[in-house]
Amino acid sequence: MQRIPGCVSLMLSVCLWAGTVGASDSSLTIWWAQWPPAAGLQELSKDFTAETGIDVQVHQIAWPAYQDQVFLEYGNKTTAFDIVVGDSQWIGRGASKGLYLELTDWIGDAVDLAQIHPLAQRYLMEYPTGSGRIFAAPCETDALGFVYRRDWFEDATEQAAFQAKYGRALATPDTWTEFRDLAEFFHRPQDKRYGAALLSGRGYDSITMGFQPFLWAFGGSWGDRDSFAVRGHLDSPGATAGLKFMIDLLEFTAPGGTSADYSGVLDAFTNGSTAMALNYFPFYPGIVEGMGDQAGFFVVPGHEGTRAISLGGQGFSISTKVAESQQLLAKRFIAWFQQQSVQQKWITYPGAFTANTALLQSAAFREAYPFNTTFAQSLDHLRDFWNVPVYNELLAANSRVLGEALDGSKTPQEALERLAVEHEMILRGAGLGQ
Amino acid sequence: MHVGEGDRWLKVGFVAPVLVLLLCVNIFPLCYSIWLSFTNADLVGGDLQSVGVLNYSFLFSDPRYAEALRTTALFVVGSVSVELVLGYGLALSLRDRFRGKAVLLTLLLIPMMMPPAVMGVYWKLILDGSYGILNQLLAAVGIGQPQWTTDPDLKLLSLLLIDVWMWTPFMLLISLASLNAIPSYIYEAAAIDRASRWRVFRRITLPMSAPLVGLAVLLRATDALKQFDLVMAVTGANDGATQTLSALLYQVMFRDGKVGMASAYSYVVLILVIALASVFLRYLTQLQRRAGAA
Repeated sequence: MQRIPGCVSLMLSVCLWAGTVGASDSSLTIWWAQWPPAAGLQELSKDFTAETGIDVQVHQIAWPAYQDQVFLEYGNKTTAFDIVVGDSQWIGRGASKGLYLELTDWIGDAVDLAQIHPLAQRYLMEYPTGSGRIFAAPCETDALGFVYRRDWFEDATEQAAFQAKYGRALATPDTWTEFRDLAEFFHRPQDKRYGAALLSGRGYDSITMGFQPFLWAFGGSWGDRDSFAVRGHLDSPGATAGLKFMIDLLEFTAPGGTSADYSGVLDAFTNGSTAMALNYFPFYPGIVEGMGDQAGFFVVPGHEGTRAISLGGQGFSISTKVAESQQLLAKRFIAWFQQQSVQQKWITYPGAFTANTALLQSAAFREAYPFNTTFAQSLDHLRDFWNVPVYNELLAANSRVLGEALDGSKTPQEALERLAVEHEMILRGAGLGQ
Repeated sequence: MHVGEGDRWLKVGFVAPVLVLLLCVNIFPLCYSIWLSFTNADLVGGDLQSVGVLNYSFLFSDPRYAEALRTTALFVVGSVSVELVLGYGLALSLRDRFRGKAVLLTLLLIPMMMPPAVMGVYWKLILDGSYGILNQLLAAVGIGQPQWTTDPDLKLLSLLLIDVWMWTPFMLLISLASLNAIPSYIYEAAAIDRASRWRVFRRITLPMSAPLVGLAVLLRATDALKQFDLVMAVTGANDGATQTLSALLYQVMFRDGKVGMASAYSYVVLILVIALASVFLRYLTQLQRRAGAA
């Protein structure tokens, strides 16, 4: 047998010793979608590791596959993740199927709930909504907001032309009617310039999130959250007017704008062709980095005094399919993350947003990124889609039926009447409502 | 021990591993999914309860199922018929020997060798309404800018275009093999009889190549019935305009998490495929008999 030379043996021993010293005894695995906030969380978690010796791995999964992979993983006896950063709509499925650990008894002692924005508590943490039963803690609090071409809005020639045509100053809109005028004004397809980019894609939830601000602002709703009645709400005259208004606005989008998902909307803006685009705030650091002062931000407009904005964001939920020791580590991480000092650092990462009310009001937060003030103003108007266990079937019906309305094969009234029937069927099938 | 008995054990020894493997990976999942189709099985677990024929009855009231069935039928008929005409036409023009035939054939067969999912991603870029090379070419010659992957009237057409691009070479290959298999003396006899080109095509080429081409049609049709990769890559599983039965099954199984319902849906698809294949196979057998008689 060939003998290992002495120096090689010594080096191997040193490497093995160094490896043992560097490795921590315990570790946590977090699953989240692949985007800048997840990269920020991985960076931030190094502080947790330094404090506790617990290694944290944030496993990032591409957005289109994220939901599928998480729930497929839940099909196993144990999950590869200890914590999942789940979409707000998932909470009903996670809670009622016994996938998310209930945190109600623990969280009050570990986290200062008074610091968390009440709407984030309502939509990101509780199931059923308003019940006080908690299954998640806020990680990324998010909202829809508009990004616009500030340089176009501040151009003197454009301002004069707008003033002459509409009899008022060219400024960011407060109402959907003002928004429509702006979209019409900037829509110049012959110059490859377009008025707006709205969420209308047929994938996961983009058409739903894009339609909601119109639905709510014009007086409609998804249904009654107590009785789960949908007819009379989703097919109401207000809801129909909202959908019609949205469809009319799509006239001012770039070609293909009637089926634009999150990335499609971003592309429409970043390629320099579109005046105003609707998307979630965590996507905006990239725009600021690429376009600088050319981009500005404004809160989603309202209608006749009602302003309602689609909530985004995800909460930390602990998997029930991991060992109790891992659940304890996960709780330790969540409690650490919610601390004021940690939240203060969290909001410095690109696209990372907090639900901490004190921080949201702080000058440090508002000055950290150019869109932060708009984000903070948006939070008070948040509303969310159903977060019931059958949320995905409801979303799928939305994509199909609202899509038909956007494509012109159904009138807004026909589409919403059909959708209301389908939603009631799905909810009743899941045992919700009578 | 008798020699015959030893032979029997040897045979059993050879066949048994394959039988066990088949039982494990084919028969057991098949039977298990039949049972699942009568339950409320969920992807993430939970209480498993029998629901009788509820999943099957729900299927017929689900508007998505009828729509997916229609989309799949359109896709199968559209793609296979165009591929047949193009593939057979190309085979007819390539059956004679000429310089560079081998190179040309190799080039024509390349699309068939590519993974469909990868091709779907590439084609999505090619067909992109704003940046796609196809629209840039169309703009260069002054033609409008069709929104291939977002216009509801063009989405399915785009998928058909990609499928035809990918699988016409398959039809070409089989058609060419069937044409080359026709004995040359039959054509020589027709030439002696001064048969016209059309008559030769109609009475000799077409009937004698039909059984093999028919088999290719059957293979392509069953493959197209399962269309999934392109749909996922280009428009996604939940787009009503392009939701095929496989895409719907994916949606119900993996997104809605309804394993029991997805099993019921897939059994109805399976029965449909078996019924169609049986009818087609019977037709093919008749064609073969006629060709043999000729």
